[in-house]
Amino acid sequence: MSGWKIAILCCHYTNEASAEDMADIPARVEIKRFSCSGRIEVSDILKALEADAEAVLVAGCEKGSCHNHSGSLRAEKRVEAARKILEEIGMEPERIQMAFIPRLDTGAFVMAAKETFERLLDILPKGEITS
Amino acid sequence: MIIAERKPLTRILQMIAPFERVAIIGCRGCVAICSAGGDREVETVAAALRLARKRKGRPLQTIEETFVRQCDPEYLTPLETLKEKVEAVVSLACGVGVNLAADLYPDLKIYPGVDTSFYGSNPSLGQWEEKCRGCGDCIIDFTGGLCPIARCAKNLLNGPCGGSQGGKCEIRPDVPCVWHLIYERLKKRGELEKLTQIWPAKNWIPAGHGGPRQRVRPDLQFNNKK
Repeated sequence: MSGWKIAILCCHYTNEASAEDMADIPARVEIKRFSCSGRIEVSDILKALEADAEAVLVAGCEKGSCHNHSGSLRAEKRVEAARKILEEIGMEPERIQMAFIPRLDTGAFVMAAKETFERLLDILPKGEITS
Repeated sequence: MIIAERKPLTRILQMIAPFERVAIIGCRGCVAICSAGGDREVETVAAALRLARKRKGRPLQTIEETFVRQCDPEYLTPLETLKEKVEAVVSLACGVGVNLAADLYPDLKIYPGVDTSFYGSNPSLGQWEEKCRGCGDCIIDFTGGLCPIARCAKNLLNGPCGGSQGGKCEIRPDVPCVWHLIYERLKKRGELEKLTQIWPAKNWIPAGHGGPRQRVRPDLQFNNKK
């Protein structure tokens, strides 16, 4: 275990996977679901980092398949805005990742979480891996 | 409406560096409509400031509130109790709100969280354009409703200048020459003769060059309890 926490903010409709499905990822994974990824605000992303997540994955439905038409596209814009804020305060914008996941495809969902963890490996000093 | 833009977070962090308890207060007037200082922006700015301070090992406590308006004294009264709970306030209202709060509560350390930019319209979501400069002596009855003070880079009253090419301003190819627009508009309205009038030099005193401006309506001042 790295000792890191990864927060996944996603839509109820995108996927039903649980943290147990992420057992292969050597980090604590917390999943918070919203009624639509379009409802995920910039402040939700920042609050996840404030609550000790080292990285945040925002997962929305594949482009064109959002239940609410354009929720995941809106989420992508919010991710861009949150990344700009991280840059402003001297944090790595790569800590926030966006993924478009085919509906109910747990494999793609877990893969996106793994990639988020791998990005952390790239950006954080190796010394921060606690065990 | 008054258009504002959030200040860089590093600048706000500098202002509040000495403090541990800060209130972030928004305004539900113009700055909420232009998405610079309403409820959402208060929440975002507060979260960003807390995150930045936490990373520096100097946690910040925030109180988040959004007032109906910050340009009227009655809506600022919650500051009376708020100032007992925090060391400083960051206001996301326009400069009017910050000034009024600073006037009314001289012992309150209040700092601006936005830059007040211009009077503008909202032609589409996420876009604001300057349309008026508040010069206090409106002449757009002569110009087809288009303001050469706000929309001409040189504030020309007798345009266009030599930099107008193909209907565009020389400052940027995406900026229309307002004098070109004025000509086209007046032509369409059959009012081209308005351009033949010689205007006397503009009086800039109403624009603020005569000092801070005031407007008074004595009929409304009757029985004024403010």
